Amino acid sequence: MVVCVAENINIMSKTIGAAIKERQAKPIQDMARDITRAGADYLDLNIGPARKGGDETMDWLVKTVREVTDLPLSLDTSNPAAIEAGLKANSGVSLINSISLQPERLEALLPMAVKYNADMIGLLWSQEGMPRDANERAAHCVDIVYKANEAGIPTEKIWIDPIATPISMDINQVLAGLEFMSMLLEIAPGAKSIVGLSNISNGTPHDLRHYINRCYLIMLMKYGIYSAIVDGYDEELLTIAKGGMVEIVNLVHGMMDGNEPASKDLSPKELEYYKTARVLMGKTLYSHSWLTV
Amino acid sequence: MALEIPKVSYSGKIKEIVLGKGDKALTVGGETSYPFYLFEGQMSLKPRIAMEVYDSTPEDWPPAALEPFADVVSDPAAWAKKCVDTYGAEMIALQLVSTDPNGENRSAEEAAAVTKKVVEAVDVPIIIWGCNNAEKDTEVLRKIAEDCAGRNLMIGPVTEANYKQIGAVAIGYEHTVIASTPIDINLAKQLNILLGNLGVPDGRILIDPTTGSLGYGLEYCYSVMERIRMAALTQEDERLQFPMVCNLGKEVWKTKEAKQSREEAPKLGDPVKRGVLMEAATAQLLLLAGADILIMRHPEAIGLIKDMLNDLLAA
Repeated sequence: MVVCVAENINIMSKTIGAAIKERQAKPIQDMARDITRAGADYLDLNIGPARKGGDETMDWLVKTVREVTDLPLSLDTSNPAAIEAGLKANSGVSLINSISLQPERLEALLPMAVKYNADMIGLLWSQEGMPRDANERAAHCVDIVYKANEAGIPTEKIWIDPIATPISMDINQVLAGLEFMSMLLEIAPGAKSIVGLSNISNGTPHDLRHYINRCYLIMLMKYGIYSAIVDGYDEELLTIAKGGMVEIVNLVHGMMDGNEPASKDLSPKELEYYKTARVLMGKTLYSHSWLTV
Repeated sequence: MALEIPKVSYSGKIKEIVLGKGDKALTVGGETSYPFYLFEGQMSLKPRIAMEVYDSTPEDWPPAALEPFADVVSDPAAWAKKCVDTYGAEMIALQLVSTDPNGENRSAEEAAAVTKKVVEAVDVPIIIWGCNNAEKDTEVLRKIAEDCAGRNLMIGPVTEANYKQIGAVAIGYEHTVIASTPIDINLAKQLNILLGNLGVPDGRILIDPTTGSLGYGLEYCYSVMERIRMAALTQEDERLQFPMVCNLGKEVWKTKEAKQSREEAPKLGDPVKRGVLMEAATAQLLLLAGADILIMRHPEAIGLIKDMLNDLLAA
């Protein structure tokens, strides 16, 4: 079972963005109710950089959502003051999304995680930016766990995010992320993990994105991913996360173990996952037409 | 124990593409190994060089580039003939810069008339390169394809924005398309899939991965070309198993270093040699990255590359 953090309450969304700006509770509460019912385990509240008045916005958003759902909340903004406002306003469980290795983030946010007894996402992003391979991810991971422990945050409260990058950009980064995930338990025993799933399909035609997101989740599950930030409206994805579609999961995991299924014997649904897994494993080069060739 | 040299195992082969028609037609592609890895596979078909001809008198060329063509620059047909007769060109690339809507904006009819003259003046294979404005190129290349039906011209750049229209006329009038994408292997593959879905036969597709000059992003082009070849040869990526075209002459000769006079850049040495060497070095690197067709400008740079090809292929 994968803990699902629904990404939908996001300032980038047209309806939600407008509702946040105009402080209209209804569209946000409707969505929060919908996603809660759909089976999400956490709600991510993404207010973007929120440079001006971020604290007030997050305070309002947390209270608004709290009125309709008991789910834990992931507070998602690059503005530390807004994170703190969210932590204060939230009567339930909070996850700080996210703390990277940039000194200003560490300095501002680690003490908050302690003070409010919140969990934190440890984003493997350093001062030099994106890690280049699995080893750099490992080094960053050790670093961030050490720094968080030192500040008083137990490893169990750290959710490591290896950073998913678009399949349409560089397959080697996708493979590096997976390779890192296969090592995480040894590098940081007890740490949790989380991946922003939709990043993997950024740049892919909109109506095809969920195929990649779902298959990628299955692949991460092979390495025991703890949690994923997901589209709360993608029923098939949630089914997979909750332990369903076992045959498809076994098919993909088998492929990762080197078992090549006879593609002519596959059902259309299996074929969809087979083709997508081949792309995500770097066996077939990605193109927008990957499902039809 | 004898030392065993490790070898790459290849599962794919680059498709052979016929360029042009008649006695002077050429075939490129057919590689079964990385470029010039003759110890691992075949490269029996030589990479080819097309000499540039412009459809209007160049105004911003440095003297070094202009000098070999000074007597013919105002007459594209004579220019093409000189390339073939005097400089031994095995192919011609007609650059239709004057059709650019942001420049002279010459009509499709005018471009087709110029093309017709060039096509009649020489019998070697001819590349027709548009102005890189998707809409205008569609109009111009359609007219040319129709007027030169059956000549198997190589027409491009064909992009995601105009592949349907240009692909259709290429099928109808029997030409070869140059599928152009902006230095991106995934997009290159996608465009070839789309052309295939449209019905363009595999024997009529060339890849333009987009080319930069030495010192101006060449390493980026190089690595994308390298990856295209790796996918084609070792990952059986069938939609990338096409020969690659590099339109490099115009990229090199527009750089600051190729244009500066001795007075402007006293530390950079002889301006003639400088431009020639920059063009030759760019071409050499692109060949090593897997280019099958080079579009080049200066006869001396071309001479250097021909020597290199003869050396590397004489096994």
